[in-house]
Amino acid sequence: MTLGEWQIVWFTAWVSALSTLVILPFGLALAWALAWRDWPGKSIVETLVSLPLVMPPVATGLILLKLFGRRGAIGGFLHDRLNFDVIFTWRAVLLALSVMSLPLLVRSARVAFEEVNPRLEQIARTLGSGGWRVFFTITVPLAARGIVAGMILAFARALGEFGATIMVAGNIPGKTSTLSLTIFQDVQIGQDSSAFRLLGVSVVLAFAAVWFSEFLLRRKRKTR
Amino acid sequence: MSLLLKNISLPLESFALGMDVEVRGRVTAVFGPSGAGKTSLLDLIAGLRRAPSAFIQLDDRVLTDTAKHFSVPTHQRGIGYVPQDLALFPHLSVRQNLLYGCKPGGAAGRLFSFDHVIEILEIQPLTSRGVTELSGGEKQRVALARALLASPRLLLLDEPLASLDAPLKAKIIPYLTRIRDEFRIPMLCVTHDRSEALALADEIIVLVNGQVLQTGPVLDVFNRPASADVAAIAGVETLQAGVITDSHEGLATVKIHGATLTALAPATGTREVFGCIRGEDVILQRDAAASSVRNRLPARIMALRPEGALVRVELDAGFPLFALVTRPACAELALREGEPVTALIKTPAIHLVPR
Amino acid sequence: MTSERTKDFKPGVFRKAYHLCGRLVPIILKPAADRKIKLETNQPGAADVRASGGILQKLNDMKKTLVCALLLFTVARIQAAEISVFAAASLTDSLKEIAAGYEKTSGDKITFNFAASSTLARQIEEGAPADIFFSADEAKMDGLEKKGLIDTATRKSRLGNALVVVVTADSPLQIRSAGDLTTAAVKQIALADPKAVPAGIYAQAWLTRQQLWPAIEPKIVPTENVRAALAAVESGNVEAGVVYKTDAGISKKVKVAYEVPAGDAPAISYPMAMVKESSQPDAAKKFLNYLDSKEAGDIFKKFGFILRD
Repeated sequence: MTLGEWQIVWFTAWVSALSTLVILPFGLALAWALAWRDWPGKSIVETLVSLPLVMPPVATGLILLKLFGRRGAIGGFLHDRLNFDVIFTWRAVLLALSVMSLPLLVRSARVAFEEVNPRLEQIARTLGSGGWRVFFTITVPLAARGIVAGMILAFARALGEFGATIMVAGNIPGKTSTLSLTIFQDVQIGQDSSAFRLLGVSVVLAFAAVWFSEFLLRRKRKTR
Repeated sequence: MSLLLKNISLPLESFALGMDVEVRGRVTAVFGPSGAGKTSLLDLIAGLRRAPSAFIQLDDRVLTDTAKHFSVPTHQRGIGYVPQDLALFPHLSVRQNLLYGCKPGGAAGRLFSFDHVIEILEIQPLTSRGVTELSGGEKQRVALARALLASPRLLLLDEPLASLDAPLKAKIIPYLTRIRDEFRIPMLCVTHDRSEALALADEIIVLVNGQVLQTGPVLDVFNRPASADVAAIAGVETLQAGVITDSHEGLATVKIHGATLTALAPATGTREVFGCIRGEDVILQRDAAASSVRNRLPARIMALRPEGALVRVELDAGFPLFALVTRPACAELALREGEPVTALIKTPAIHLVPR
Repeated sequence: MTSERTKDFKPGVFRKAYHLCGRLVPIILKPAADRKIKLETNQPGAADVRASGGILQKLNDMKKTLVCALLLFTVARIQAAEISVFAAASLTDSLKEIAAGYEKTSGDKITFNFAASSTLARQIEEGAPADIFFSADEAKMDGLEKKGLIDTATRKSRLGNALVVVVTADSPLQIRSAGDLTTAAVKQIALADPKAVPAGIYAQAWLTRQQLWPAIEPKIVPTENVRAALAAVESGNVEAGVVYKTDAGISKKVKVAYEVPAGDAPAISYPMAMVKESSQPDAAKKFLNYLDSKEAGDIFKKFGFILRD
C-alpha cells in the first residue's frame, strides 16, 4: 500500500467518524421523537428519514447537489452570504455520508428507546428529575447498546458510501477521494492492483464494524 | 396533611374514575378490587397522567386544576412513588438508585439523612450491590428508601405487598409502620388485601369500578360496610340474601335460606337484605349446649383450609357459612370434613345491609 | 381491413412471405368457419345458428395478415443488423444524428454507449459486446490494439477538435489567456479526469506546456467525462471548465471564454475502428465506411469538429 492509498483510507475513516458524530444529536432527537409520542406528521417524518435508505444513493446525491449547489436553496445562501462552498469540497463528502447513514442510526436508536420501560422514566420524574435529566441519566444509558450499535452501522455505511458522494463531491484527489471512489476510478483506468488493495481494506473495515455491532447486540440480549 | 381530590373525572377502559374526597389520615388505604382504577388514581396524583377534569391540592399547594389549565410538572410535585413493579434503575447500583432523588447540596436539603433511612430499612449491606442481585424483599426496601430520600411530602405506594409471599409480607409490614412512625410522612397506599389495609392504614377509601363507595376509619368501614359491594370487598366471608320477617325493639328476625337468625335491625325499614357475617364471628361447637348466643345453626363441615395460624372452615348451614377458628381449636374439636357441628353467631355480629 | 406494411422490410420479401403465410395459416390456424359451426352444433338446439360467410372471410384475411406480419417482422429483424458503438462522450450529438440518417437507409440499427474513452476501453478489455470503438485519443486505441482487440485494418483517424475554456453564460469572468485561470476569481475549474479521460489529458498537456499546471492543479475538479465537466460549469458550481469546442457548441448555458490556439495544445485526434470480436463484422465495416463518407463528414463539421481528410 502506498502512502497515497493510506491517506485515502485515513481520509475516509475520519470523515466517516465525523459524520457519525455529526448525526448523533440530531439522530437521537429524531429517534426519541419517533419512539414515544404520536404527533401530527409523524408518519411523514418517518418516511422522509427512511428515504435515503431505500432510494438509489445517486438519486439522494442528486437532490443534495441541487440543494447545496451554488444555485440551490441552501447552497446559494451559503455561497452568497457566507462565501462558503459545499459542493466539490470535503464538506460535501461529510454531507453525503451524514445523510446516507442517518436512517441507520435513527432506526437502531428508535428501537432501543422503545425498549426502555417507560415506568422507569416516570419514577425518575417523581424523584425530581426534569425532562433532560431523565433523558440523559435514564433513557440514554438504558438504550446505550442499541444506540452504539446504530452508530457503528452508520459508520460502516459511511465508509462504503459511493453514489451520493460522487454526485456532490466528485473524486478530487487529495480533497474528496474516498475509498469507494478510488476503487471505482482505479478500475476505470486499469490500476487493478491498487483497486484490490483498497478493496481488501474496505472488506476488513466493514467486516470489523458489522461484527462489532452484532457483538454488542448479542451482549444486550444476554443480559436480559 | 390534607390531600384534596375534587372533581376528578378520568375515563378508563371500561369505566370512568370519579372522585370527590379529602384525604386526611396519616396512612390512607385506597382499597378495592384489581382494575378499579387505583393505579390510575396514583398516577394522577403524581402528575404522570392527565385527566379531563381534576382538582388536586396537597396542603396549601394546588397541583392540578384543569379548569385553569394548570398542572405542576411531576418533578416539581415532591410526591414519592413506589410502583408495584418497584422500577429500580437496572443500570445503576443500589447506592446510585438511592441517591438519585437526593437534591444536590448535601444533607441540608433533605428531610431524612441517608444513614438514618438505610438504617431504618436495614439496607446498609446492600448499597454496593447491583440492583439485579437483590431479593424481592430487599428490592422493596430499596425502592422505599429511594422514594424517602427524595424528601417527599407525600408517599404513594402501589400494592406494596402484593408481589410478596406471606412470610415476606409479614417482614415488610413493620418497615412500613416504621416509615409511618419514624418519618411521619403521609402515605397513600393502594391495596386489595384486607390485612394490609388493616395493618397499615388509619383511613380507608373503598374504590370500586372507579367510584368511591365508602370512606372512613378502617375498622368502621370493615365492620359496618355501607353497601353489599363494600361488604364483599371488605371480605366479609359470608354474604347471603335474606328477608326480614319480623322486627321489633331493635331486633330483626331474618330468614336466610331457611335458617332463622336474629340480628340487629337495620336503620331503614327494608325487608329484603343481605346478611353479612364475618368468619371471625362464627363459633363452632360440637354439641348444642345452652349459651347466650341466640343463633345456633346445625351445619355440616364441607372443607377445611389452613390460613397461617387460623383455619377457614366452610360449612353448609342451609347456605354456605364460613368460620375462622384457630388451629389448636380445630384440633381440639377434631373437626373433619363431613362432620356435623353447631355454628353459633352472636346477634350483633350479623350485619344486615339493605338490598 | 387492408393489409399493413411496416417500415422494416423490403417489398420483395413481403410478397414471398405473404404467400408463405397463405400456406401456413391453414396449418397453424383452423379457419374460423369450421370452428364456429362446430362449437355451435355441440349445443342442443343451436343447429339453426349459422355464421354468415362474409364475416368469416374477413376474419380469415385478418389472421393471415397478422401471422404474416409476425413472421416478416422476425425475418426482417434477423436480416437487419444491430451494431453496438462505444464512442467518446464528446461525439454524442453528432453521432446520434448520423446514425438516425443511416438507420433509415440501411435498415441496420445502431446502439450507442457514450462515455469517457478510458471507461469504454476498459469495458472492451473486459469483454463488453462492442462492434465499433470511436475514441477521443489515439492512446486508448493504441492500448486496445496492443492487446489485440482491434481490427487494425479498419482503423482510421478522421476527426480533430479544439479545446476551449467555458464559463457560465452569465458569468462576468474574462479569460484572455491560460494565465487568467490562475487568478483568485477562478476558484474551481472542471476538467474531465486528467488521469484517464482524453479531454482531461489534452487539457493537462496544454496547461503543462504553458507551465501553469502546478498553479492550476489545486483548483481542478476532475469529472468522469467531458460532458460532466460541461454540466459542472452549467450548474454554476465551478467558475470555469475546459472542454471541447464541440461540447461548448451544444450548450446554451455556457459561453466560450477562450479558445485554445491550435499550436498551444496537443493535436486532438479521434480514431475509430472495428472491434475484432464483433459479432456483426460486415455491418460494422459498412457503418465505419459511412462514418468516413461525405454525408457524415458534413454532419461532423456542422457540430464543429475538424476534418482531416
